[in-house]
Amino acid sequence: MPGLLEGVKVLDLTHYIAGPYCTKLLSGLGADVLKIEHPKRGDGVRWLGPFASGETDSASGTNPPEDGAWFLYLNTAKQSVALDLQSSAGRRVLLELAAKADILVENFAPGGMDRLGLSYSELQKMNPTLVMTSISNFGQTGPYRDWKAAELNLYALGGLMNITGEPEQEPLKEGMPLAQLGAGQNAFAATMAALMYAEETGEGQQIDLAIAEYATNILENALMQYSYSGQEYSRVGNRGYGRAAWGIYPCLDGHVGIIAGPDHRWPEVARIMGREELSDPRFLSRAGRLENADEVDAYMLPFLVENNKVDIFKAGQESGLGFSFVATMKDILEMEQLLDRDYFVELDHPVAGKLIYPGAPIMPEESVDAWVFQRAPLLGEHTTSALDSWLSYSEAQVSELITQGVLTQGQGV
Amino acid sequence: METPPKNMPLKNYRVLDLSRIWAGPYCTKLFADMGAEIIKMESLSVYDSHRGPVTPARGIAAYPDGEPGEEPWNRNGWFNCLHMSKYGITLELTKDEGRRVFERLVSISDVVIENFRQGSLERLGYTYEELRKHRPDLIYVSMPAFGNTGPWKGYLGYGIGQEQLSGMAHMTGYRGEGPMKSGINHGDPITGSHAAGVLMAALRHRRKTGKGMFIDVSQQESSVALMGPEVLAYQMTGQEPERQGNRSGWYAPANSYPCAGEDRWVTIAATNEEQWQNLANATGIAGLAYDPKFATLEKRRDNHDELDRIIGEWTSSQEAYAVTEILQNAGVPASPVLRGPDLLADAHYKDRGTFVTVDHPQVGLKQYPGIPWRMSATPGQVRWPSPTLGQHNREVYNELLGLTGIEIDQLDETGIIGTKPTGSRII
Repeated sequence: MPGLLEGVKVLDLTHYIAGPYCTKLLSGLGADVLKIEHPKRGDGVRWLGPFASGETDSASGTNPPEDGAWFLYLNTAKQSVALDLQSSAGRRVLLELAAKADILVENFAPGGMDRLGLSYSELQKMNPTLVMTSISNFGQTGPYRDWKAAELNLYALGGLMNITGEPEQEPLKEGMPLAQLGAGQNAFAATMAALMYAEETGEGQQIDLAIAEYATNILENALMQYSYSGQEYSRVGNRGYGRAAWGIYPCLDGHVGIIAGPDHRWPEVARIMGREELSDPRFLSRAGRLENADEVDAYMLPFLVENNKVDIFKAGQESGLGFSFVATMKDILEMEQLLDRDYFVELDHPVAGKLIYPGAPIMPEESVDAWVFQRAPLLGEHTTSALDSWLSYSEAQVSELITQGVLTQGQGV
Repeated sequence: METPPKNMPLKNYRVLDLSRIWAGPYCTKLFADMGAEIIKMESLSVYDSHRGPVTPARGIAAYPDGEPGEEPWNRNGWFNCLHMSKYGITLELTKDEGRRVFERLVSISDVVIENFRQGSLERLGYTYEELRKHRPDLIYVSMPAFGNTGPWKGYLGYGIGQEQLSGMAHMTGYRGEGPMKSGINHGDPITGSHAAGVLMAALRHRRKTGKGMFIDVSQQESSVALMGPEVLAYQMTGQEPERQGNRSGWYAPANSYPCAGEDRWVTIAATNEEQWQNLANATGIAGLAYDPKFATLEKRRDNHDELDRIIGEWTSSQEAYAVTEILQNAGVPASPVLRGPDLLADAHYKDRGTFVTVDHPQVGLKQYPGIPWRMSATPGQVRWPSPTLGQHNREVYNELLGLTGIEIDQLDETGIIGTKPTGSRII
């Protein structure tokens, strides 16, 4: 079976990060995902570097590149249809595709679908079981609906930024766009729920998922502390809230994560660090360590800076402590646990060549064959084949639309 | 027990939920939001440690007004924000009668989910093969830190560690400084959300084929999946990513800038030339829009420190919301850095009902994050507060398993179920 979602048809009108991660999960599970791209510009994320060609900056020029790291990863196992939605003929084709789809995912700015004449109420008339997932920065309603945002604005409005970074420095965002990627994940879960409901009842619906709201949904302790006690969380740098010896520390070849707890395991930490002083009764409890946090750190550091991250990690783990280390990209690609579990997949791409990709985020038992692994599409690579398989368009029909400039067929390489 | 409203997508599914802390509970929270019947099962000797200690030290966890009260395990906001609309039961698997009850619960459940340390359930004799004897089409989701195979399978992992081992922490930090942890443990909700979607795909597969499956979740793999673009980038350039603070490799400027008041900040980004021009003009700073030092993306990158200083001077005397309004009106991405009180008072979130007020019997009325998306046909709602320890023992054991009041009393008297913790070694 090629994927758990074999046979599910997805019309993908997403671009950049949040929407494409949602549809990447759907295509990875075997859904038939048609990614609609503008014939000339393609998905905007195609232009963002680095590229397999070695260029690191964003690209300029007339043709969108095929080999950007972000595009290649976020669009695996999808098919690209190059279709101009600004033309009325293009919108007609899209409506025909929407009539056949089980799911439509889009992340235009709110109102974008309406302006294309593709509002959910229009689409639903043709296809009452259609699930339409709309992902946007702030949602389809509310006073900030039309605000513009980059990742850090979402992270900030979602409450996560206030609690990341050093107390005396500016609030910090994550290095990865986790608000957008996480929202894409939640959009995948929401879409699956709506698909199951549509299949069981015949009733489709629209999902309104706001990226900033995703961030507020995962605040957990940071929000509950305030909601319950009126006490605010703030930035604490690399130390845990109300904890000491709980965070990221430098070591000989990088950084490690020391997690001291529970209390009855503290003597193990003291033993690993080889410092008698750490067994001091003052440090035995979480509260005691917190009160003497700087002193505890000072006793741990000599051991840490003389040892390698993996050795420290394993010394902790072999003693039943949840130590970790800060993995670099090289570390990830070489990690024995991931290699042993055959986590990575190698995909060959006509422009980018062979690269190692992280595989399934979650792998059901092998016999189920839940995921499919295929490279990202070239711009318009599947225009003709997809219009044939979804709409039974003849070659002549496709040629005429190509002549009109409504469609383009990728040339391949 | 309540009949879920008709228009909830997952109302036909029952999940026996042995998961704890955050990763597993976030998965089942999303299921509960969608109407699934979640039976959250805990042990009286080792309940979900997110409930906090039996006898908490001063100043830890999130109790109403800082007061742990007589039953602190029922009053911790950490736990109470993740288990709304779930049923709470207790059961001791170390006793034979407890095991018999457990096996009957498995037999009526569509899904069993746990995120114990790898092998914990197996040591109690419950492999997937064994569980399937009681429910042939069972879906079993096992989510230990590093998965159920491999040299690290027995290792412990917390969300904070997953950020590091997935490379996320390597990317996060101020420029020229070391890696920085984030304010929450992203690894947990990332895994919970991935698991929720894949589990729905598995339920759908079962509906079509009649077959259950074993789903082996490695929290680490789930987190590394979000690092894919950087893993590819490293292979393309041979360079490890540099920590960029709040800056972007794709546009400039971007940062959080100080505002009037104590620890008040606004985030601003110009993601293209038009937004840069709009930003420069909106600040009203004479000549900024034409300053050759900032005329191109490359120049703004080279002179980012100076630009940060200029923008920071402009923002520092103003309110964060006021700066945001000026810039958003000019089409420039901007937002205030919201703190706890700001989130609950914010006009947008109020308008969208992002946070919900729920009445908990031992806590009273408090605000919580609600359902993280809106659905037009199946809007759903938070149906009841997070359960106190063992709150639904009688309902579940009577209505689902048909145990009589006397039988349930007996379980209670023999310590197999109950509502008071018996262990003390809970962190």
